[in-house]
Amino acid sequence: MKSGQTNIDPDWAWSAFQPEQPEDWTQRQVAHFYRRCGFAANPEMLQSGLQKSPLQLASEQISNRQESSQVEQVSASLARSVLATADAKNLPAWWTHRLLNTSAPLLEKMTLFWHGHFATGAEKVKDAQLMFDQNQILREHALGNFGSLVHAISQDPAMLIYLDSASNRKVHPNENFAREIMELFVLGEGNYSEKDIRELARCFTGWEIRRDQFYFNRFQHDFDEKIIFNDTGTFTGEQGVDLVLEQPAGAEFVVGKLMQFFIADEGLQHPELIQPLASQFRDSGLETGALLETMLSSNLFYSDYAMGRKIRSPVDFAIGLLNAFEGTTNLLELNRGLDELGQRLFYPPNVKGWEGGRNWINSSTLLARANLMQSLLVRDETRFGGGSLSQYCKTHGVTSLQEAIDWFVEILLAVPLSEPKHSELVQRCEHGSGSFENNLRRGLGLIVSLPEYQLA
Amino acid sequence: MSFVRREILQLSATGLAVFGFQQTAPAFWGQIADNAAGQENILVVVQMTGGNDGLNTIIPYTQDEYYKQRPKLAVPKRDVLKINDEFGFNPALDGFSELLEAGLLGVVQGVGYAQPNRSHFESMDIWHTCQRKTGDRSDGWLGRAIDQLAEGESTETTGMHIGNRKQPLAVASRLHRVPSIRSIEQFRLQTQEKDSIQAMRSLAQSENSEADSLLNFVQTSTTTAIDVSQKLQQVSKSKNSNIQYPETELAGKLKTVSQLIASDIGARVYYVEIDGFDTHAFQAPAHTALLRELGDALNSFAQDLREKGMQERVLTMCFSEFGRRVAQNASDGTDHGTAAPMFLMGSNLEPGLIGKHPSLTNLDNGDLKFHTDFRQVYATVLDNWLRCDSSLILDKQYESLPLFVASR
Repeated sequence: MKSGQTNIDPDWAWSAFQPEQPEDWTQRQVAHFYRRCGFAANPEMLQSGLQKSPLQLASEQISNRQESSQVEQVSASLARSVLATADAKNLPAWWTHRLLNTSAPLLEKMTLFWHGHFATGAEKVKDAQLMFDQNQILREHALGNFGSLVHAISQDPAMLIYLDSASNRKVHPNENFAREIMELFVLGEGNYSEKDIRELARCFTGWEIRRDQFYFNRFQHDFDEKIIFNDTGTFTGEQGVDLVLEQPAGAEFVVGKLMQFFIADEGLQHPELIQPLASQFRDSGLETGALLETMLSSNLFYSDYAMGRKIRSPVDFAIGLLNAFEGTTNLLELNRGLDELGQRLFYPPNVKGWEGGRNWINSSTLLARANLMQSLLVRDETRFGGGSLSQYCKTHGVTSLQEAIDWFVEILLAVPLSEPKHSELVQRCEHGSGSFENNLRRGLGLIVSLPEYQLA
Repeated sequence: MSFVRREILQLSATGLAVFGFQQTAPAFWGQIADNAAGQENILVVVQMTGGNDGLNTIIPYTQDEYYKQRPKLAVPKRDVLKINDEFGFNPALDGFSELLEAGLLGVVQGVGYAQPNRSHFESMDIWHTCQRKTGDRSDGWLGRAIDQLAEGESTETTGMHIGNRKQPLAVASRLHRVPSIRSIEQFRLQTQEKDSIQAMRSLAQSENSEADSLLNFVQTSTTTAIDVSQKLQQVSKSKNSNIQYPETELAGKLKTVSQLIASDIGARVYYVEIDGFDTHAFQAPAHTALLRELGDALNSFAQDLREKGMQERVLTMCFSEFGRRVAQNASDGTDHGTAAPMFLMGSNLEPGLIGKHPSLTNLDNGDLKFHTDFRQVYATVLDNWLRCDSSLILDKQYESLPLFVASR
């Protein structure tokens, strides 16, 4: 990531966005909010969002930390049946069900963010229950205190297994977790020394798992003095985590990563832009919710520096389409597809998680995107608002193919389609020789294969 | 294509200034590459992801220090597959042992770089781009080579990545979109309706997007994907040899490479990965399995190439982002280290060990000291095998290594 000067005024960037003209606050902005802070909005959410201010939209989502009891009930019963199989391969279907039905979209989006941040792979952990438990920890702290989350995750059995801490003994400590907590979880590469890693690894000696629970084995812990970041003491693992969290570089690192996740893949990693939010984050004692409230209601968030400046992740790509039109489908097929697209939930590629941005796109994943949509859209079991796509359109006052294409484009695309492309699209859709339903589905398939739809 | 075509030859004129001070390759090495049309030399890069434990790959079986530092992990002397009186392969590498006997394998020892970084991601980026963090990492060393090789041609298939995961930065190019494909059969659009494919292709054209924008990137990637998949539909019936590859992921990928080379699709650079070398805990079984997968896959690949008469023009090069620490850790594994060997396979190589094994006692904070910069290996391969100008790709002329036989 290049970092250099920017022309963007940080004061303006982080001030709350206050639409002055009606055209500053339209469906386009609300759709943008939900694409970023959730998994897309359906027509009803767009309508009600328009009645709120940008700040209201953001604060509502940030304080919405409890799933509706209705969704929670179904999700819990699904979880029970998944966990009964003891096979972690069934977990992705459980989570996608939740993503498709959630009443707390930002909470789920942040849980997904932390899943990528504290990436832990079921390939190595294997135990479905432990992976599920970690997912609950991420959700519990998703919009809460970052320090508490780091403490919780550092003693989480799935993480201990994934980064080999569970076999860490006094003599020749294993450095894996100590390295990643500094490099990937809290500080970022370059903000620590190799010696800090070796010393921190000593703090974590004796951290084990017994009966699937964190366990401190004092006989394997190194109680001697350690020197970390020029601090000397007989630090425990918990104190070691605190020392890392106290480093000032951490706030910049997390803010930068959240900006990349929520605002733009590229071009915004400027220290002048990051610093004001990082200071706020530090001053608040690392409260994620307060940080996000500023970020997600800001001028920058709703500016041209943000709109359409992200590549849709596979989850955003597939769940985004279904949620926009209240769609449901075969979850196993959906998850097979997500895997091909490069985002298998609970199975991040490595400890760095999904890097996102241009990394989502290559010739294989692009063909897989088109193929997944093709296979979902030809299925009868893919339904919209509980019925056919044509019924769904009709309910929303859309009766012709041309109207439908216009409507789909308006709701789905984060960047405008050029006039010639739009006409060509309509023309090519009208070529279809099948039923109205089939032509609609074919048109929708073509729209989600457009390069424009790959942007969020 | 709407990329701004840059004059890449002008990009690094400064590289030429250094040229005069460096020892350059004797001219006859330049004769190795016999670039008749359709017979150009091909480079296959195998990335061993995670940091391969070089010390348990090429084993210094006469050195007590090795056995002292690795009480549980050391390979007993009697099990080692001997290369010479001092060094041998890990017993899982009988594939390499056979290749060496056939004169097809070279091992470059002690490869690394100054001020080594022990982060997987940072070190891998250094190997991929040849730039430190502060440098411009918008393309990779092979991407730059692909830009040179494809100059003047409109081919989208000068380089190919075999795999459907994240594309390695090494092949990122400013001018070309390198396709990533998992297998020839799977690389296709499900819809076979000509109309739909045409519509998709046409709507993805990048007429009015800015060259560096995300939209332009997705547009050009989409048209490349469709074009290459159409092209592969036609070549997919290329001849297969009778060689049985092992049932492993790496072997499958190399088999695909062999099919693609035989199909004359024209790629000069192929890139494949094998992951799992980050062996912090209980290393022995995992590392053994990985080395077996590597050695056996390369051995089958070599046989396949020979059978198809393509052996002479394919060079395979294996690297990892770093080696591992000399001493084992408490979890019967090893932590991130520095210098490690690279492996080359081909019929024009100087077979055997190249360069010294790094000392086990003269260490840098418990890590081996490198003596050969990885860019020297790159430079030698670029200049003498791919016939590129390495000084433009690596920003200066690196001293070349005696990797290839003088003439054939």
